Amino acid sequence: MTDSTTVGPLEGLKVLEIGDLAEVAGKLLADAGARVIRIEPPEGAKSRHQGPYVDDIFDVNHSLRFAASNTSKLSITLSLNDSRSEELLVKLFQDVDVILDGSSIGTSNNILMNAEHVLELNPEIIWCSITPFGLTGPWKEWHSSDLVQLALGGPMMSTGYDDHDLPPIRSDGEHSLAIAGEYAVTALLSALWLRDMNDDKPGQIIDVSVHEAVSATTEGAFANWEYMQKIVLRQTGRHAAPVRMSPWQYPCKDGEYVLMMGGGIPREKKIFDQLLEWMDEYQATGDLYDPSYVEVLYTDPTMNVEIRNHVSETIGRFIQLLPAEDVYRRAQDLHLPWGLVRRPEENLDDPHWKEREFWWEGEISGYQSTVLYPGAPYKFEKSPVYLRRRPPLLGEHNYQIYAGELGYSQAKLIAFAESGVV
Amino acid sequence: MYSESSTDKPLPLEGITVCDFTWIVAGPQATRILADLGADVIKVENESYIDSMRWGQQVDPENPSFNGSGFHNNFNRNKRGITANLHHPLGREIVERLIKKSDIVIENYSAGAFARMGFSWDRIQEINPTAIYISLSGFGHTGRDKSYITWGPTAAAVSGCTQMSGFPDKEPAGWGYSYLDHTAGYYGAIAALMALHHRKNTGEAQYVDISQIETGMVLTGVPLLDYQINSRRYERIGNRSRYPAVAPHNTYRCKQDNKGRDSWIAITVEETLQWNALCDLIGDSRLNDDPRFKDNESRKNNEDILDEIISEFTIENEAQSLMYRLQSIGIPAGMCQRTDDKMESDEQLSFRDFYPSAPHDHLGEHRYEGYPAKFSDARWKMERGAPLLGQDTFDVLTNLLEYSPEEVANMIAELAV
Repeated sequence: MTDSTTVGPLEGLKVLEIGDLAEVAGKLLADAGARVIRIEPPEGAKSRHQGPYVDDIFDVNHSLRFAASNTSKLSITLSLNDSRSEELLVKLFQDVDVILDGSSIGTSNNILMNAEHVLELNPEIIWCSITPFGLTGPWKEWHSSDLVQLALGGPMMSTGYDDHDLPPIRSDGEHSLAIAGEYAVTALLSALWLRDMNDDKPGQIIDVSVHEAVSATTEGAFANWEYMQKIVLRQTGRHAAPVRMSPWQYPCKDGEYVLMMGGGIPREKKIFDQLLEWMDEYQATGDLYDPSYVEVLYTDPTMNVEIRNHVSETIGRFIQLLPAEDVYRRAQDLHLPWGLVRRPEENLDDPHWKEREFWWEGEISGYQSTVLYPGAPYKFEKSPVYLRRRPPLLGEHNYQIYAGELGYSQAKLIAFAESGVV
Repeated sequence: MYSESSTDKPLPLEGITVCDFTWIVAGPQATRILADLGADVIKVENESYIDSMRWGQQVDPENPSFNGSGFHNNFNRNKRGITANLHHPLGREIVERLIKKSDIVIENYSAGAFARMGFSWDRIQEINPTAIYISLSGFGHTGRDKSYITWGPTAAAVSGCTQMSGFPDKEPAGWGYSYLDHTAGYYGAIAALMALHHRKNTGEAQYVDISQIETGMVLTGVPLLDYQINSRRYERIGNRSRYPAVAPHNTYRCKQDNKGRDSWIAITVEETLQWNALCDLIGDSRLNDDPRFKDNESRKNNEDILDEIISEFTIENEAQSLMYRLQSIGIPAGMCQRTDDKMESDEQLSFRDFYPSAPHDHLGEHRYEGYPAKFSDARWKMERGAPLLGQDTFDVLTNLLEYSPEEVANMIAELAV
């Protein structure tokens, strides 16, 4: 019996994950209670071969890259390019709801990896393919990387510095995989819903394109072109826009940066007055008490750009007089949506996230103490999403799955291992 | 298998009703996904709590209108729109009837605001015990700083995502748009679908509290672990790659495009075969013969000079044709596309019909960003643009909410809608 308080929203869902592009999608399902078995090649998934590693020493089980995207999963090994793996695959496909296929076109040449064939075997399967450019089209076999995806999809041309001799910038963090993984989960959960709510609607194939997912994730750039034939220009630390705007981000007294959303000008006059009072404590209001500013800021529908830039830059000069944390807290107390530009690790000590129980304490192979993993961004009142188990060792569940569940003898398993199939 | 035209394929979320109190970007992004997949999303507004994005990016700034924003249109397509005056008892009753009919209630106000409007989680449960409630807010509905507010860039700053963008010797470049509004929206849609699955299995509805900053923090797992285990503070890397440590991996300047704009190509080489192919294409003896570039480790150690030599080649080339040449010899490469490149000359997006058009009653026929997946036995739709303010009030009230036309006429007279 499962304790009812630990039943996640996807409890009971059975998922097989293959390839390298489905890591994030698989993690989202696994943390939510689905049983996700990651099928890895005998040498281990690609991310196991990418650092950083525990103590900076390579070990397939010590990759922090792998750990970050593979919590709560099980791992088995299988050489999909080896025809002898067919027998095992057929058995694995008997009892599964979702196949998360993150293998690029051309790499899964095993006949059984053909989605339509698998659906004949088990017509209730939702086969969700995530490929760099989709299963169809002139670029379907193009080569890809995170950098290439953020270039082609548009995020880079909106991101960078005022100085356009500097290149557009790719934000670090494999965001194309995250974006595609998030969209893939919406697609496959919708397909599951359709399957489960209708007797006559069995499984199907879903074709998720990373390029399309990233292309749909550029906010205002789309409408600027479609409706006004305007192209947005990248600017340091703020939104790309068709015209140059004054800065939103300034270094404070201690060198740390604060982001003043929209250039720092409050949306309400009442808050502007409070901001002026605060600035006045440091004799930093400049000429902003001149009533003509209020008039332009809060009654002039043309949003006079020069005036706004002047006001914004005066506020920016002010915040450089104070430590960043003080600016952030006081601004938020005035209901200004300003943010401290933190390093990721600086959130570990913030009491707010502790109070929300955001962090998941867990183990990681090769490290003596426990670590804090980033948790889930959603708190389900009745079906918690949480760390089910630490990231799996390579092939950690071979015995459990192949022997315990598929019924292979130990001798047979050893033979598979020796011949390189698992 | 993937023909989009056949409307006889089912919409996966047909039959799901969503009471949508979202505004700006993050919330509308969540309900846009549900609406594209077939849910009946009813966006509720009133002139005192209108979606302020209706004023953003006016297509005709000389004649501003609630219905004149292309930006709003793109994020609210396929939804229906009603108005309800919450200061009037009849207006409140409309919302209560809608909640009674809804599978999902979703909002992205500041923490506590929806409860102050009269719709706490307790109240929602009283009205409809099977309704799922999704809240999207900056810091979440609990914790010390829950009253703090965020827009996309605020959340990116606090989460660590802004720091993870740009050059180490320059200030953070951040994201040039509200990336975390998209991300929070994606997690909002995921949470709604997960909660539906839980309800299907157990009969239980529930409340899901989403923090936009947390949707950014989940993307910083590698530096978080690296700091705790290896005591390494995060340092920016420009467009290079630290993990895996490969080179070349960068953006390189190309010839100006035919509109006279700066133009760049991303090239990543992870394998020896790709490196050899790149050397053959560039044909520069400095690359072939120099021991500084003989293997990946050497290239990584001499990345500045390596990137300089490659740039000397790319600056003589036009980005798009160079991208095709590099791809044809097996090298991951892509030009940095602007929106016009994506919409007017990206063969792949065009082949897959990624920008379908649909009518909007004020802005006319326009293209929309598609949903980035195709289904073999289902579909997503692009049927209609965003609702004009209150466009569907009569239809929704008389059909879905079962008011008589006379009752609706009375509500109009009483300013309840």
